[in-house]
Amino acid sequence: MKRSRLDGWFEKSTRSLAQRTSRRGFIGALGQALTGAALLPLLPIDRSGLAAAAEPPAAKHDDPLACDYWKYCAIDGFLCSCCGGSSASCPPGTTPSPITWIGTCHNPLDGRDYMVSYNDCCGKTSCGSCFCNRNEGEKPMYRLSRNNDVNWCMANDNPNYHCSVSVILGVAEK
Amino acid sequence: MRAQMVSAAGLCLGLAVCGSPVAAPPPPIATEHLEVTHLPAMNAHWAFLFDYAENSEIDARVFVYDADHFRQLGQIDAGYYPGFAISPDKKMSAVATTYWSRGWHGTRADVLELTDNSTLAQTREIVLPSRRMQGPPTAFDISYSPDQRFLFVADLTPAASLTVVDLNKGAPVADIDTDGCVLVIPSGPRRVSSLCESGRLLSINVGEDGHETSRSLSAQFFNVDRDPIFVQGIPTGNQVRFISFLGDVYTVTFGAGEPRFDAPWPLVSAAERGKWRPGANQFAFQPHLARLYVPMHVGREGSHKEPGSEIWVFDTDRHVRVARWVVDRKRYGGVIAVQASQDADPVLYAVTENSSVLMMDPRSGQIRHVEPKVGQTVWYVWTP
Repeated sequence: MKRSRLDGWFEKSTRSLAQRTSRRGFIGALGQALTGAALLPLLPIDRSGLAAAAEPPAAKHDDPLACDYWKYCAIDGFLCSCCGGSSASCPPGTTPSPITWIGTCHNPLDGRDYMVSYNDCCGKTSCGSCFCNRNEGEKPMYRLSRNNDVNWCMANDNPNYHCSVSVILGVAEK
Repeated sequence: MRAQMVSAAGLCLGLAVCGSPVAAPPPPIATEHLEVTHLPAMNAHWAFLFDYAENSEIDARVFVYDADHFRQLGQIDAGYYPGFAISPDKKMSAVATTYWSRGWHGTRADVLELTDNSTLAQTREIVLPSRRMQGPPTAFDISYSPDQRFLFVADLTPAASLTVVDLNKGAPVADIDTDGCVLVIPSGPRRVSSLCESGRLLSINVGEDGHETSRSLSAQFFNVDRDPIFVQGIPTGNQVRFISFLGDVYTVTFGAGEPRFDAPWPLVSAAERGKWRPGANQFAFQPHLARLYVPMHVGREGSHKEPGSEIWVFDTDRHVRVARWVVDRKRYGGVIAVQASQDADPVLYAVTENSSVLMMDPRSGQIRHVEPKVGQTVWYVWTP
């Protein structure tokens, strides 16, 4: 159910963005940098999140309010969990970014790798709480599909960045 | 206690009455006249400290700082996710930023604001298309052509492009698609280059009207999968030095022809590779000393933004490390950015994760002065 809702949301958002954007390079950038559920099987899966398995076993990895939460393996920003939302939902009054980038995080609690979507929540100024900067598999902005430096609220009507979430899209097939 | 004080006062009064001269009160403080401080002449030891204001991102600013007298000279406001550049003649500062009509919402306006560096007064505004790249500070978010006729602005919507602003006309004159390549690296009198995911450099020539006349794509000079380069390249004259995640130095030289790429050289030994890693928002090169300064940490894949626990110093002529300076992280925090003044008697700046700015002797590493907490989140330093 959750996946279906996300599918629809991504698809709608991506189409909406495409309609607003007619630039020559859009398809090239978009195909890498996003995106809709229909495109997900085409995306390369970043398995570098496996490095998380090497972290000390004492690390808890299961607190959405903590930066070491396993889903946050490449998040860069304020945790929406601390800003009125959760690890997968935006705070009230904000708007999810329709575009984002997708990575893979290893969950040491069940031993699986998960594809996650790092969305920003937009439309209010920065939350300022629980800053977290982890970068497993993150790349510089010339590989936009793996970059967490740019403002992923860039295509929102109000591109103010507020906080970041990490939404599970499914188990990463090995 | 009160009784003792009264008693002491009485004794004092008694002595005065007994003939001791009464001290004349000091003259009154002179009348003051409110005025605006005049800036001293700019010198190479001014630093433009970029405060991203992360906790209130619509309010970035650039502090202008005098590293000879260890004092702040003034401020340039910078808005939201700004790009910043100092003009080649040093007379102007340029900020490309975004505002909304009602603070954080309302009608969006992207603008280029030009500030006179002799007064810190904003003297000019040029409205930009609303597609400016909003990202971390680099030397290449915006850039001047060498003759200051044009200013290039990196755009990202997420389609990548660049806007050419004609500073004579005071208006944007061209929008050039960069085929997914990002940033605006000045690479010739009428040329600008961008970094591509393919590990190549896209170079675009523009004419006197600012429009594209030709473009070329270099050979691949780095591999994003094996070892990507930081986008925070170090521009010096007609060269840019890039550092890779694993610690190789890539030097690009721009001339009349196509860009030239030197063979990369390593910052780390084979034994150190993968363990000791560069990590920062900014690296520094000092041309008179031929020294490269790199914040380093013991890390792993994904640690490329971790603050440096040490600053490593390299001789760029001989490609050898000449010093390792351990940073007192407990006292100052780890180093997230370094910058060097470009004169013959230079200052090295090290910005820490606590937004402290250390001013150091670039020859010895000795700390000359510490500004313990500058603004909110200083992430980058420009020097004239």
